[in-house]
Amino acid sequence: MKKYITIIIVSFLAILSCEKDDICIEATTPNLVIRFYNNDIQTDVKDVLLDSVWSINKNGIEQYKSVSTDSIAIPLNLNEDSTTYIIENNSIKDTLKFIYDRKDIFVSRSCGYKTIFENLQIESNSTNWIKNININNAIIENDTAAHISIFH
Amino acid sequence: MIQQHIFLFFISILFTVTVNSQIKEQDTIKNKEKYGLRIGVDLSKPINSFFQTETKGLELVSDIRVLRNYYAAVELGFLEKTTNEDYLNFTTKGSYIKAGFNYNAYENWIGMNNEIYVGLRYGLSFFNQTLNSYTPNVYGTYFIPETIEPNTEFKDLTAHWVEFVFGMKVETFNNLFIGASISFNNLISTSDPDNFKNLQIPGFNRVFLNNKGVGFNYTLSYLIPIIKKNK
Repeated sequence: MKKYITIIIVSFLAILSCEKDDICIEATTPNLVIRFYNNDIQTDVKDVLLDSVWSINKNGIEQYKSVSTDSIAIPLNLNEDSTTYIIENNSIKDTLKFIYDRKDIFVSRSCGYKTIFENLQIESNSTNWIKNININNAIIENDTAAHISIFH
Repeated sequence: MIQQHIFLFFISILFTVTVNSQIKEQDTIKNKEKYGLRIGVDLSKPINSFFQTETKGLELVSDIRVLRNYYAAVELGFLEKTTNEDYLNFTTKGSYIKAGFNYNAYENWIGMNNEIYVGLRYGLSFFNQTLNSYTPNVYGTYFIPETIEPNTEFKDLTAHWVEFVFGMKVETFNNLFIGASISFNNLISTSDPDNFKNLQIPGFNRVFLNNKGVGFNYTLSYLIPIIKKNK
């Protein structure tokens, strides 16, 4: 009898101590996803030779240093209503300023809140290599599809 | 000779009858059981309050013996608790009532008054939640999010649930009982605040992902005997 009680108590504690909501597995704050297209044939994706991608006064994002890619996912500043990025393609720099509204959405106990971005607008003063920009989705709530298309 | 035998026969019958009746009388005297109102306090909650400064709680327990093995039970409580999670900090404050019954499955020896019981409760809670602070969760460290302190208070929240209780009570001194019980709670419904969730409910305790909860109490209670009944 004593043995059974111990087994029951131990298995009960084992079940209790491992709870799914202790680990955050849900998607949290999304990144801004940019896809690069050919400006001549606008349905074709076209790779860029990224030297670096960085936000003003910050270092370059590690994974986008000297790579050739057709899309990037970059974080937006969730402490401010705008983020300025400089994208250097083949030694030519272009500056993009993303302006947005922030909204914090409750996810779960372990994940807490995530920030989503709404009313995305882009201010671009330079068109050195970027010919055209199109906002596909002004609401950034997940990073499954591209929010912005850049034609070059 | 025959007369003597008849005499013996009658004497023996009479003797057994008297012996039988004597045994019965003894039984009825010893088997009186107390029926009454038992009131007590949950000791685990004040002890918790003492060691965890972010928790304040009190629970009063009461039950009344309705049938030989059935007790109608009520618990009344109050809780104020601040929960700190990785990305969240919130305070739950409110009171609750639980009502139901216990079935005593323990067969007592004569004169004993102990219980090993299973029970069922319906629980109802009225409470407020205050979201003290949170840090937006973001993957990576390119932008470090600042902690936001909205101090939003979500008022007039309710929750109701059912509990399966398993516990025991032992009479240590005359009419004084020490008891411990564990309860498995199943949330029926709760009014979740806007853009937040009731992660903690007074009386229900931590709300797990599948709307389940567990409770524990350690009680000290006193029985006020009202009547004594035969078994």
